[in-house]
Amino acid sequence: MMDDFEKQIQDALARKEPSPFFEARVLGAVKRQARDRRASMRMWWATVAAALVIAIAGSAWQHQRSEQAREDAAGREAKARLELALRITSVKLQKISQKVEGI
Amino acid sequence: MKFAIPVLLGVLPLAAQDIKMPANLDRLEAKASEVVNVQLDGALIQLASRFLSDKDPDEANVKRLVGGLKGIYVKSFEFEERDQYNKSDVEDLRAQLRGPAWARIVGASSKKKGENSEVYLKTEAGQITGLAIIVTDPKELTIVNIVGSIRPEDIRDLGGHMGIPKIDIGPDKKDKKGKEDDK
Repeated sequence: MMDDFEKQIQDALARKEPSPFFEARVLGAVKRQARDRRASMRMWWATVAAALVIAIAGSAWQHQRSEQAREDAAGREAKARLELALRITSVKLQKISQKVEGI
Repeated sequence: MKFAIPVLLGVLPLAAQDIKMPANLDRLEAKASEVVNVQLDGALIQLASRFLSDKDPDEANVKRLVGGLKGIYVKSFEFEERDQYNKSDVEDLRAQLRGPAWARIVGASSKKKGENSEVYLKTEAGQITGLAIIVTDPKELTIVNIVGSIRPEDIRDLGGHMGIPKIDIGPDKKDKKGKEDDK
């Protein structure tokens, strides 16, 4: 009874030769893991870079749009003021001409 | 020092003016029922002209007209009551326009109505480089100063375009009246 048990333990603890190509498979798996990790990192960096580019481009576009809107508003305001100034000047000159012609 | 830049920016448009508006005029704003104060320096005129269409003949005409301008300054006050402004303020302006470069080309006044209209031109080396108009009556004071190459008749002739009213002037009015009389 005791002998059987000892035998079982000896069998369980006995050194077994690895299966053929075990080392190659392990090394292959390690390389694959490393390659996958590098690919994953590359993907992560690419995503971060793409997000940054999109954020910067979006911000630049938004800035340009708001600058354009501000410039348009200033231009329209300046045009309205120019028209007002010319209207007053023209009317005054017409009235002066009218007076001079009427003399 | 903090205030240096705003003060400088505030003064810059005025620096381009040919004539210095009397400081007292600003106080008239409180008394006036209608106030127009337009200050356009060269940069603002250029900005405004970018918004004038080349395809619209009226706007294209204005664009050409303002192309040589360095400043347009208009102050106009209308009052409910008579004699709200000091005659000395107007005299200050006239004194500035007595310089050698300026010449009064038109002066029309009516003692009965108390109206006075004057047009001054500034010339340098045979070229018109400025225009000033002073119109006063008991209830109105209008001062216009245009800096740059401009002919008064070009601005006058804008009447009937760009929403600027056209006022019947002398001969046309007389002709019209004559024709009406003939009927």
